[in-house]
Amino acid sequence: MGLLDVINLDVIFGEAPQQVHAVKGVSFSVREGESYGIVGESGSGKSTVLRAICGLAPVSGGAIELGGREVVSPRGRDFYKTVQMVFQDPYASLHPRHTIDRVLAEPLAIQGFDNREERIERALSDVGLGPGFRFRFPHQLSGGQRQRVAVARALILEPKVLLLDEPTSALDASIQAEVLNLLDRLRAERGLTYVMVSHDLAVVAHMCDRLLVMQHGRAVEELTRDALRARTATTDYTRQLLAASEGYKPAEPK
Amino acid sequence: MSDTPMTRRDWLLSDQPASRNQARLGQFYRTWLAFRSNTLAMVGLVIIGVLVLTAILAPLIAPYDPLIGGDLRTERLLSPSLSHLMGTDEQARDIFSRLVWGSQITLVVVALVAVIATPLGILVGTVAGYFGGWVDTVLMRVTDIFLAFPRLVLALAFVAALGPGIQNAIIAIAITSWPPYARLARAETLTIRESDFINAARLQGASSARIIWGHVVPLCTSSIIIRVTLDMAGIILTAAGLGFLGLGAQPPQPEWGAMIASGRRFLIDQWWVATMPGLAIFVVSLGFNFLGDGLRDVLDPKGDR
Repeated sequence: MGLLDVINLDVIFGEAPQQVHAVKGVSFSVREGESYGIVGESGSGKSTVLRAICGLAPVSGGAIELGGREVVSPRGRDFYKTVQMVFQDPYASLHPRHTIDRVLAEPLAIQGFDNREERIERALSDVGLGPGFRFRFPHQLSGGQRQRVAVARALILEPKVLLLDEPTSALDASIQAEVLNLLDRLRAERGLTYVMVSHDLAVVAHMCDRLLVMQHGRAVEELTRDALRARTATTDYTRQLLAASEGYKPAEPK
Repeated sequence: MSDTPMTRRDWLLSDQPASRNQARLGQFYRTWLAFRSNTLAMVGLVIIGVLVLTAILAPLIAPYDPLIGGDLRTERLLSPSLSHLMGTDEQARDIFSRLVWGSQITLVVVALVAVIATPLGILVGTVAGYFGGWVDTVLMRVTDIFLAFPRLVLALAFVAALGPGIQNAIIAIAITSWPPYARLARAETLTIRESDFINAARLQGASSARIIWGHVVPLCTSSIIIRVTLDMAGIILTAAGLGFLGLGAQPPQPEWGAMIASGRRFLIDQWWVATMPGLAIFVVSLGFNFLGDGLRDVLDPKGDR
């Protein structure tokens, strides 16, 4: 049993005729301090698993346990002190009319933290943004800077578990590396537990100790990082995914 | 602050505001700069500014008493001249003075309707849009019911129940003018309620009230402000219409619509009696329309910002 257990999770959207069964009986267990990856193609239900964990998608069957205790729906306020999420698109995840200061101050106000001024300044410097950014609006920031703000917002509540929903897929390659290194550093410094969703196997191989391959809402197989690097996948689908991740290859002449 | 000389403009447009207020003022200043470059909007703003000043300074501007006329034998229905800029009406009252004092009534009507109808519309619309489901259904059906009330008929009912007067006209106009704002606010809310920044607020444990007030409302207000400003002309016209029908302001109050009503008997021979208040209504309505158009160009969240 780990820090975060997902047991036989089902997620069903909508009512009977147009029902979408997005996640079908997915189980995995994330140990404390581990970085766990979920990979799969678009529509495989990997993001939905994250959303179900944090309460943005319904848990239609199975259970989610945090520290051995089943979480309730709707999640209590304390749940969000333990679990936070970073969204995929930094252009959509910050309120366009709120300054960075307000973005960071609001979670502190909601959760009743003290020393807010210090915490905000520290959160900004932790993600590599100077105090000059504090009173800017999101439209005055680049995509990478926005994503840093989103990370700062998630970490300002000092959670144990950080859910990362393709945190770099909306950024260009050089910024991707920057944000990934930032996430790596923060995990090492704070002993965070990551659950990271990505369609990019290279990113997952870099970040995660273990990973789950999903297809059509089902878990296909679980791999360790070493197995991923050694390409010792046991199922056809994972092998296809690995081959696809190597990129374009010209057809061999016959 | 820093050693380098810094103009106020630089301070406002700074990329790195040093305080909450500087950020807010800077944002405001940027909006103002965009607004200022719009000529028609500035014309509208000037007209509304003149209206507000006139209303405030009415006792200083008006040369004559608006209610008590001059000599009924010699000063009735005088044509415009230097001593009576817009002529006099059938009770020998100076029309210019009455228009100046009437601007107060117009402004009160507009302000009160805006203050009553706008928050009500925003509240109903955002709550309905945010919660969805049966809350949405109930609130929107209530909105439909209010939309179905004809303004003038409702005003008539109010006047019958409470007696004629400008207050009852204001209440009637306010009650019938919030539903479009509610629908607009709901539509805006629906487009943002599943966005990531709202989800992020939910993930911080924010209550629904905090999300609606702090996150949804600020994004709805700009389109509502535009809509309200554009509706101002309609509100003025409705108030004038009620006055014209004798349901709004009561004589001898110098309400513009009522002035037109009393002047229509002399329309052929003494055209100025009805025309001057008509021109005032026209100019002020136009001013609000220009202003609303300009605000739309500047505030529309679907613009470049």
